Amino acid sequence: MDRRHFLFGLSGAALSHLEAGTHHPAKADACIFLAMLGGVSQIDTFDPKPKLAELNGKIMDWSKEKKTDQPNLFAKPRKFVASPFRFQKYGQCGREISELLPETAKWADELAVCRSVQSDNGNHPAAVFQMNTGFIIPGNPSMGAWVTYGLGSANQNLPAFVAMPDFRSIPFSGAQQWGSGYLPAEYQGTVLRAASEPIRDLASPNDVDAKLLAAERDVLRTMNGAYGAHRADNPDLRARMDSYELAYRMQTEVPRVLSIDAEPEKVKEAYGLNDPVTASFGRRCLMARKLVEAGVRFVEVFTPSQSWDAHGDIRKNHEKNARETDKPIAALLADLKQRGMLPRTLVVYMGEFGRTPDTPAEQETPGRDHNTRCQSMWFAGGGMKGGSMIGTTDEIGHKAVENIYHMHDVHATILHQMGLNDLRLTYYFGGRNRRLTDLGGRVIKELQA
Amino acid sequence: MRPGILLILSSTLWGQDLLVPLLKEQCGACHSGARAQGGLSVDSLEALRQGGKHGPAFTPGVSGQSLLVQYLTGEKTPQMPLGGSLPPGVLEKLRAAIDAMPTAPATARRDPHFEWLLRTPKANLPPTPGPNPIDGFVSSKLAKQGMRMAPEAPRRTLLRRISFDLIGLPPTPEEMRAFEADPDPKAYERAIDRLLADPRYGERWGRHWLDLVRYAESDGFAIDGERPSAWRYRDYVIRAFNRDKPYNLFVQEQIAGDEYRGKDASPPGDRLVALGFLRFAPWEADANSKKQLRQDLLNDITGTVGSVFLGMTTGCAQCHDHKYDPIPTKDYYRLQAFFAGTATADLPVAFDEVERPRERRQRMRQHEDAAEAAQTALDLQREELKKRYIALMKVGPDDDGLKKFLARLNTRNLFFLEQDLPLVKEPEWREPLRAYFATRDTMQREQELARRHQALAYAVRDVAPPAAPDVPDTYILAGGDLAARGEKVEPGFLSCVTGSSAAAEIPFAGGSNGRRLALAEWIASPKNPFTARVMVNRLWQRHWGEGIVRTPSDFGKNGEAPSHPELLDWLAAEFVAKGWSVKAMHRLMLTSAAYKQASVHPEQTAYAANDPTNRLLWRMNWQRLDAEALRDSILAISGRLNPAMGGPPALFNVPDDVAQGFEFFKWFPSPEEEQRRRSVYLIQRRSVLLPMAETFDAPNLSTSCARRQTTIVAPQALTLLNGSLTRTEASHLAERAIGTADPVGEMFWRALGRAPSAAERTQGQTLAAQGKPGLASLATVLFNLNEFLYVE
Repeated sequence: MDRRHFLFGLSGAALSHLEAGTHHPAKADACIFLAMLGGVSQIDTFDPKPKLAELNGKIMDWSKEKKTDQPNLFAKPRKFVASPFRFQKYGQCGREISELLPETAKWADELAVCRSVQSDNGNHPAAVFQMNTGFIIPGNPSMGAWVTYGLGSANQNLPAFVAMPDFRSIPFSGAQQWGSGYLPAEYQGTVLRAASEPIRDLASPNDVDAKLLAAERDVLRTMNGAYGAHRADNPDLRARMDSYELAYRMQTEVPRVLSIDAEPEKVKEAYGLNDPVTASFGRRCLMARKLVEAGVRFVEVFTPSQSWDAHGDIRKNHEKNARETDKPIAALLADLKQRGMLPRTLVVYMGEFGRTPDTPAEQETPGRDHNTRCQSMWFAGGGMKGGSMIGTTDEIGHKAVENIYHMHDVHATILHQMGLNDLRLTYYFGGRNRRLTDLGGRVIKELQA
Repeated sequence: MRPGILLILSSTLWGQDLLVPLLKEQCGACHSGARAQGGLSVDSLEALRQGGKHGPAFTPGVSGQSLLVQYLTGEKTPQMPLGGSLPPGVLEKLRAAIDAMPTAPATARRDPHFEWLLRTPKANLPPTPGPNPIDGFVSSKLAKQGMRMAPEAPRRTLLRRISFDLIGLPPTPEEMRAFEADPDPKAYERAIDRLLADPRYGERWGRHWLDLVRYAESDGFAIDGERPSAWRYRDYVIRAFNRDKPYNLFVQEQIAGDEYRGKDASPPGDRLVALGFLRFAPWEADANSKKQLRQDLLNDITGTVGSVFLGMTTGCAQCHDHKYDPIPTKDYYRLQAFFAGTATADLPVAFDEVERPRERRQRMRQHEDAAEAAQTALDLQREELKKRYIALMKVGPDDDGLKKFLARLNTRNLFFLEQDLPLVKEPEWREPLRAYFATRDTMQREQELARRHQALAYAVRDVAPPAAPDVPDTYILAGGDLAARGEKVEPGFLSCVTGSSAAAEIPFAGGSNGRRLALAEWIASPKNPFTARVMVNRLWQRHWGEGIVRTPSDFGKNGEAPSHPELLDWLAAEFVAKGWSVKAMHRLMLTSAAYKQASVHPEQTAYAANDPTNRLLWRMNWQRLDAEALRDSILAISGRLNPAMGGPPALFNVPDDVAQGFEFFKWFPSPEEEQRRRSVYLIQRRSVLLPMAETFDAPNLSTSCARRQTTIVAPQALTLLNGSLTRTEASHLAERAIGTADPVGEMFWRALGRAPSAAERTQGQTLAAQGKPGLASLATVLFNLNEFLYVE
């Protein structure tokens, strides 16, 4: 094993490990990954296709396209769909962004956009796995687990990797999306809920008297201490005692870090906590900022499973999802910037795939289907070049044609910005050294500052 | 893109053909011809391989270790090209070209590791003879280092050790007292026999096997549909261990139970149920490509058979020749060809007497009746809702709104219904809709329960003549890609063992094609160099915490070399000689002095400096209870473990907000007393793991798990301090103790198998003084003690 196992916060060595963990100087200390489940349409957000306005309603000839993501849908005639949303240029960089995302658009000069990210599988479950683990099959560690494995935690009282799904509809395969796969379990993401108990079993039982609880702790400490005294050769005994001390600290620290009530009213307003539409995503964005501020390495915030999946009605679906996420995301960027955290925090916005320029011809309200040949995603902060862009798609926005990147490349880039070399971050399992980027990965250099 | 395609691309686009031209262009001015600088010429691949005065220019497959790259990146000085720099992208291309090269293949026969591994193990006795040959091997190795074994552990420790090792539960106070007081010199051996005869032995060791075979009761992936008959395989495994089914037979039944012809076979039903082994791969029920789905299953089987039975990472050879071991891709597909005719099937298989057929029939009928009744009620309620809508909304029966309303009644739960149908929030609708959804839940729950009692086996069968014209052909798939068909292959055994790539002889197997039987017989043969070694190593690993080979599913070059190869070989030969009896091996191992050692050595400091990881076995390793042993023990100690064996799984409670997120199924927790069964009987659903088990390093159920991690993290402390399992059972333990003469002593005996020390009694009393809540607190403390979680 080329990297020693590190139990988060169990020793004072946490910070020195941080230094030892990087392969090269890091640009970002933390990553906030905004997972847009269902797949955002690039054509209606960051990749305007005026040509589609001309072709709108015309039947598309797909006979030359042998492989499609959804054979059943593509077996029938399909028609082009123009974007129902207007585009406008924003920022010094003049980035074209649609009216769906007016708040994010204000931060155009902070965004490093890639319009040519491809992936391998057009089925949600497999695609979400690939977004999180690089593989379309279960059983592999998630990117957050890899980062934690590489870097450990910078806070002794909090988990290093936090996942915040939307409990109205959790991602496919649930905990496997932030699981540690074959890595040791300590690297798995800890789910934080926005509800009253953010971590499972965090609170002491409320039917036990506080004095009794304190006495209980003392007795446990004493008995474990006495047992360990004659068995000093087993370091695990000591480690377990330390893990209890950490648990006790977490019991006070986690609620403190996550206490949103204490936030100023204008912060709550900015994240949209006062509006039921934005409250769910907004609350989790705010928690993400607070966690990163407290030293958490990797935070993943999910929209509800398949939320962006606009097969039936692109306008209605995307308007709803944009309303739920746009304002909170802009608030997150603003908050990070204002606190001086943005330069050292990598924010990533990505879904499991992009969407098609067309819809089944028989469909009354036009929608868009799954498209693995291109999607638009962006980075912000964390050593990426704000206002930059790379990648070109064809004139109908069906596939990337120039400077093509893959989801694996996004993974390599995240690791790189965090000071990790994806080729050297390995773990021996099943007969060989494995990597997050086992199937490939190039750092997206054009977007680096 | 699938992994394989990537590899092909990389070898054609950036392959070695590109290396020489690129280098010639960049470096040829100085490194070419007869007077090449530093002796390094880039004129040909051969010249590069030969290298210059510092050695070969590249290490195939590992660009980072290649001198060429090291000089170009400046890792070695002087940085090349001298005084200049490479055009952008060239270095990446060079790296890719080197990385794409196959690493030097291990030449099987000349490598001492494979010379050992590929030879059938021989029963050579140890240099120092003694009553138990294990000790001869261990002591002679220690003696060479001037070391000796630790003294025997105290009796209490020994009984606790063998209890957890064999049945996964602590000894009762009565057992402990009796054992400590027993003057019979054979008391220890008798205790081993008693535990081996205990049916809970099968539950413990069955669970170990289930780890290996990626056993799960659901498909995985998004839909994660339940496999309602999978539990029959679990019970088959438990029975197999309890009956000490010879391991060679156990292997053959799981690979080819349907084709097996031996006289010693299990009941025919069992042999079909055993085939579940071949089908436990995750299954993407809604996959776009059914061909690919089938290929994924075959790949899983090929890899799993290799790692579980042979301890070889055959799966690595799917896309390219194995990088470390002598397994060419061709062998991977020859191995796969044994399964070419295999198709998944739910086979009708009557319940065996031990599976309680009458109870199964009765329960199935009862749940079917209940489901039918619910269906009738549901139809009525639906009709009522329809009438209500028409009346309240004043619309006709063909109204579009009504149609939409009715369609939305199929929404997966009330929460989503509220999103879709704001109507629900109105008071006059709330109750009837609630009632409707409650009835629908009842119906679904009863249907689900009924399905678990069907007389089906979750298994496979062969699609072979006469049912099909022929067994499908198997081709080498370049890079593992279905579209890249190469040479056609016939079923064949690993060529590194047989020395040839000849096709295997396929026996006649009645209605099936017999291929799997041929493979099963080869694997289960005493001559097979892997099978016995791999299994005895797994047994050893469970008793000592580490195997003699510490990578139990990888005996190849990249795994860890055995610490005691002679011992391993002797054990393997002994295993075969004892008729592949697993219980005989337990007895042999557990009665050795090497096993009975204390976990602390008088010379601890000096020995630990010399051998920190205890490779030489100078003491017993510590083991932390695994998730199942921990949970089961807490329940056993509180007196509430439900001992019912076998049958459909129990569903544990999950938090409401989690259950609400399940899109494709509903979660119906079992009655409370069923939730208190042993962990092996809790449902193994891939997307819904028992949180407590997940925290304590249970496997992820998707891939074979040969060795569990033992992490130490704060959430474990939170689970044991605040979780409902500990708190509830602590309170029951307090209840149990409160009526006894000495409650504090009683609780110590139950949890730790000993009386409290004077100091502990004083501390215990400070809590116990608070009455029952205080005793419950003391019980919580006991469940959290290192002494409780660790087996010395």
